[in-house]
Amino acid sequence: MSTVSRGVRNAFRNTIRSGGVTIILALSVGLALVMLLSLKTVQARIASVKANLGNTISISPSGFSNFSDANNALTTAQLDKVKSLPHITKLVESLQDRLPTTGSPSFGKLGGDSSSGATTSLTSPVKLKTGGNGGGSGAGGPRVFIRGGGQLPANFTPPVSILGTTDPTSLNGQPITIKSGSTIDGSKDTGQALVSTDMATKNNLKVGSTFQAYNATITVAGIFDNGTNLGQGDTVIFALPTVQRLSGQAGDVTSAIATVDTVDNLASATTAVQNTLGTDNADVQNAQQQITQAAQPLENIKTVSLYSLIGALVTGSIIIFLTMLMIVRERRREIGVLKAIGASNAKIASQFVAEALTLTLSGAVVGVIGGLLLSNPVLRLLVQGSATADAGQVGKFGGGASRGFTRLIGAGGQSLQSLHTVVGYDVLLYGLGAALLIAILGSAVPAFLIAKVRPAEVMRGE
Amino acid sequence: MLTVTNLIKELNSGSVTVTAVNDISFEIPEGKFAAIIGKSGSGKSTLLGLLGALDKPTSGAILVDGDDITKLSDRDLIKYRRDRIGFVFQAYNLVPNLTALENVMLPMEFASVGRAQRKARAVELLEQVGISAAEQTRKPSRLSGGQQQRVAIARALANRPKLILADEPTGNLDSATGKLIVNLLHELARSRKTTIVAVTHDLEIARQTDLTFQLADGKLAGQGSHHAAAAKPDRPAEPVKVRS
Repeated sequence: MSTVSRGVRNAFRNTIRSGGVTIILALSVGLALVMLLSLKTVQARIASVKANLGNTISISPSGFSNFSDANNALTTAQLDKVKSLPHITKLVESLQDRLPTTGSPSFGKLGGDSSSGATTSLTSPVKLKTGGNGGGSGAGGPRVFIRGGGQLPANFTPPVSILGTTDPTSLNGQPITIKSGSTIDGSKDTGQALVSTDMATKNNLKVGSTFQAYNATITVAGIFDNGTNLGQGDTVIFALPTVQRLSGQAGDVTSAIATVDTVDNLASATTAVQNTLGTDNADVQNAQQQITQAAQPLENIKTVSLYSLIGALVTGSIIIFLTMLMIVRERRREIGVLKAIGASNAKIASQFVAEALTLTLSGAVVGVIGGLLLSNPVLRLLVQGSATADAGQVGKFGGGASRGFTRLIGAGGQSLQSLHTVVGYDVLLYGLGAALLIAILGSAVPAFLIAKVRPAEVMRGE
Repeated sequence: MLTVTNLIKELNSGSVTVTAVNDISFEIPEGKFAAIIGKSGSGKSTLLGLLGALDKPTSGAILVDGDDITKLSDRDLIKYRRDRIGFVFQAYNLVPNLTALENVMLPMEFASVGRAQRKARAVELLEQVGISAAEQTRKPSRLSGGQQQRVAIARALANRPKLILADEPTGNLDSATGKLIVNLLHELARSRKTTIVAVTHDLEIARQTDLTFQLADGKLAGQGSHHAAAAKPDRPAEPVKVRS
């Protein structure tokens, strides 16, 4: 029988004590694992969000609202100055508009329809409840509330969103996938457009088909996949100069997103953009600042998880330490016997370390199973608790309780509910490492005490 | 040959210093069975602990086959305890969660003897001391006192030591079993030329040994020798002749 197997057997010498220690250690290891998983999940989510939005600056006309006619747009000439600023690597400019479908009853104040009176032959794929009180009894689609009350007529269709952009490869910051045809050049007025799969289906459009907008004939250059995104589904993408020409807003831009070379330069670049455009002309927002504010709940979870992880490890070590201390004190005589018959300190200590390791691993196995089962429920509790606690704070700049938090979580197209732990081999290795650490820390002092036991202990009471 | 010269062991208890072993000198030739007798607190067990290198003397020398064990390094002391001596204790001191066989194999494991070899030798030793195959697989709690002491003797012999130190080897046994154990020790001394030093307060046992050393208050109060006991261990030895 080897030293290790003797240690393993010794671990179960007193089954009641071993069972008790295993359960307590299991709680400790389980808690450590849950917190580790939560920590890793939250860290990954924060990193993901920061990676997506971390180094961009949002630029919009000062006090601009898509739903107001009284805004002064920025101009291409103003934004050209931004392009030349240090650390700005990319500037995407866009001009947004909404065109009602030709023949649809006019609700000009609904959704900021084009003030030029222009229309389009396209019908939005978005369905609204129409023909009822408050738009309530019609078939399908979301309910719409009209400013000042009233009803949507039965033949009403929502306006089509028009986006003129210098970067037709993305929409609302998310890359789009061309399902058929090809993309367009955002810098050239070619009279072409990209339509969504929903829009194409609704209007029987194919690549090369034409439709009317602003009294002009537009050719479909490509069809992009909007998936289940309703907002993307009703959008038609043009090159920026095309919309500027067709809408009679030459040189106007309603929003821009500047990309900075590194996150480190974000703050200085934001200041430079704001100074270049002037606070009267433009609102400049740094995405990193928004994320930092919105990520606060996640940071709270991270902190709680980290401290709980450390606490669980320390607790586990203390449990093993006290247990091994008790065992060593109980077995002083046995240690003396082993020394008297020729065992070295290292041999005896390794036997006790093996015993501690066995106890720890027993606790770890039970703890890991429990931890894996409980990790998602605990993470959900942490997220809910943190979001609730932070709601008031987020409301100051998020526009409502937890809106900023939800926006952050949703930045990658994921919902708050989608935040769940993922267990990989690395986590299990961490768990094993934690168990080893607990065993070594917990048995270090007892091992020292073993070395201090004199062989003459065996003669006590003889 | 075991030679003890001017051995002193002082024990400190707070501010009080007690001389447990006070300037003792004696010799025990190889293959002899010696008894150390004396009242409780006379220093018998302390002396035995010093002979077994379980403790270090305050001064003096202990020569085992010419080597002064009081001058050995810690590493050499481990080797000494492992290879050159075997201990038998009054309370047997077997490891409770190991079987009789595993207990006997233990010192050989410390001496890095191969598993198959140590098992074969342990079985042989246990058979020699009268432990059956069925009893060899039992844990100490399922063996009688006499059986446990036999296992302890087998364990003491595991690494073929030249010196066996026994502390009250019959102290927890009835007289009949104790006699059997003493006979067993005698047989060992005779057949293997193993020197045996046994601490006892039982004069009957002392009479059966080759040499007797009597301690009183840590000092050697007398010593005697017997000759018949070694040849016929079953026969009571002559009364101890104490020589101061």
